[in-house]
Amino acid sequence: MTDLTALELGAEALAPDDPAWAAAPPVTVPLVPVPVDAQRNAYVRAAWRDRPYGATPSASVSVATHGDRLLMRLEWDGSGPIAGEFPDACAVLFPQGDGPADPVTMGDHTSPVLVWQWRDRLPIQKGMPAVRHLVSTGPGMFRPAPDGASLDAASSVDGIRWSVVLTGPRSALGDRGRVAVAVWNGANEERAGIGAVSSEWSAVQA
Amino acid sequence: MTQQGAAGQLAMVFDLNKCMGCQTCSVACKVLWTREEGEEHQWWMSVNTQPGLGTPKAWEDMGGGWRDDTPVPGHQPTRAEFGGGWDFNYQEVLFGGRGRDAHLQPVDRGDGTTRWGMNWDEDQGGGTYPNSYYFYLPRLCNHCTRPVCVSACPSGAMYKRHEDGIVLRDESVCQGARFCMEACPYKKISFNYVRGVSQHCIACFPRLEEGVAPACARQCPGRLVFVGDAADPAGPIHRLVHEWKVALPLHEEYGTGPNIFYVPPLSPYRLHDDFSVDEETPRIPPEYLESLFGPRVHAALDTLRDEMATVRSGGTSELLDTLIVYRWHDLFGPYTVDPAGLDRSPERVAVQLGRTRAGATEGE
Ligand code: SF4
Ligand code: SF4
Repeated sequence: MTDLTALELGAEALAPDDPAWAAAPPVTVPLVPVPVDAQRNAYVRAAWRDRPYGATPSASVSVATHGDRLLMRLEWDGSGPIAGEFPDACAVLFPQGDGPADPVTMGDHTSPVLVWQWRDRLPIQKGMPAVRHLVSTGPGMFRPAPDGASLDAASSVDGIRWSVVLTGPRSALGDRGRVAVAVWNGANEERAGIGAVSSEWSAVQA
Repeated sequence: MTQQGAAGQLAMVFDLNKCMGCQTCSVACKVLWTREEGEEHQWWMSVNTQPGLGTPKAWEDMGGGWRDDTPVPGHQPTRAEFGGGWDFNYQEVLFGGRGRDAHLQPVDRGDGTTRWGMNWDEDQGGGTYPNSYYFYLPRLCNHCTRPVCVSACPSGAMYKRHEDGIVLRDESVCQGARFCMEACPYKKISFNYVRGVSQHCIACFPRLEEGVAPACARQCPGRLVFVGDAADPAGPIHRLVHEWKVALPLHEEYGTGPNIFYVPPLSPYRLHDDFSVDEETPRIPPEYLESLFGPRVHAALDTLRDEMATVRSGGTSELLDTLIVYRWHDLFGPYTVDPAGLDRSPERVAVQLGRTRAGATEGE
């Protein structure tokens, strides 16, 4: 299990290039494709069985806190700013309750997973929220989370290298203090359960 | 395979022998449901000239549907394949001092959307002179009995409504994954790039709930669109589909169980090279009609021709009387209420618009 140590910041450093992040060393979190057989949807299995996806090998993850806020900075190589039908995207996953044994199925009906998802947006999509608060019960089986937690995100991109900071209530960590991350490569039409996700939960040492 | 039980099933029959391609149905739908930002290119109702590539371009080659109870991977139609939703150079022509040398045209944004649009290939049709032919095909979501779009949605945003079998989407749940667009073999789902959600025909459910026929049907000047419950044995839809068997689904082989049916078009005879009439051969090739409506199309056309012969020789035909539609309201089954008499206050309209986005799941 990859441990992540959260740094307490003096201010909420939302910008990915905020100098405060220099004190929070990034940890490489390995990613694997969400298995095609774990997709609970016959259409998605049929459409993606012979198509490669989820090839992003890892993400660089830094964690910080500021009071009751949790900040997660994810950096990875994607496909760059949205150019086709689907955007590059990333998410932080928090197991709820006992949680599933591993994060690769993005939760299940008995062990839902809380998701903070950021997606790159077209200029005409600025009315859409920067980050969505979701409950996942399986690959891509996302529904809006019932409570209106205050989430925010900021992003920068250098070529295909994304740096995205997601922030929300620290309470999302719950008692277990575990997280996983996921990324979607937009140029490969990855979305919903078609993406790359942490192969195991990471413990956050706050 | 998803086959969700419905207490009733809304169905429609379009008599293609009466469709004149006027697009009143398309525009009636457009002004009612897709006038907002992100909806410019959307035509939930579209009428194309057949044979043609249709809307979106070459949609019949895009896959989707069911084969042997397994969903068939499909192509997600792109913004360029739908085309349309153009901005015009009004500023340049009308106010920019170039009125004499610039002409009004769509602004090319470099995304291919100005090279196709709804009914782009209007009246091109098929065949060669003097045996050219065409007819019009109005298309909307088929509110299928086995809606592969619903099955393909991982977030559960789409569902088939129990009371009338119409297929709806709760946009607050829709993640914009667009598997529905890939899976729908009729390619009748569009994407709203501004709101990040998919959208499709809602069968005018706020009208249906008040006893009003869908706008495409009520506004059709050709008076050719029947609306009702497919299972009502006394209704014209049941009789046209199941009794007379002259109304057929489009591309039944796609496997989704469409609930929009078509009376296939009869055609004039072919002409010989010397312009004499070939009474043996219809102008529209029967095999082309079979490619759209299946092998039962031949019997359906025979029935129509036989009934016409009966009437010509002095007899009567209940089938033709039904298709002639002597009383306009006979088209609409239980949906004959005049919408002009309903509450259309801004407050009421806002509530109904909210319900269309929530896929009717929001309480009033
Ligand atoms: S026509 Fe397409 S969108 Fe409509 S119900 Fe059938 S599969 Fe779904
Ligand atoms: S309004 Fe009626 S006649 Fe006109 S195109 Fe539509 S279906 Fe055909």
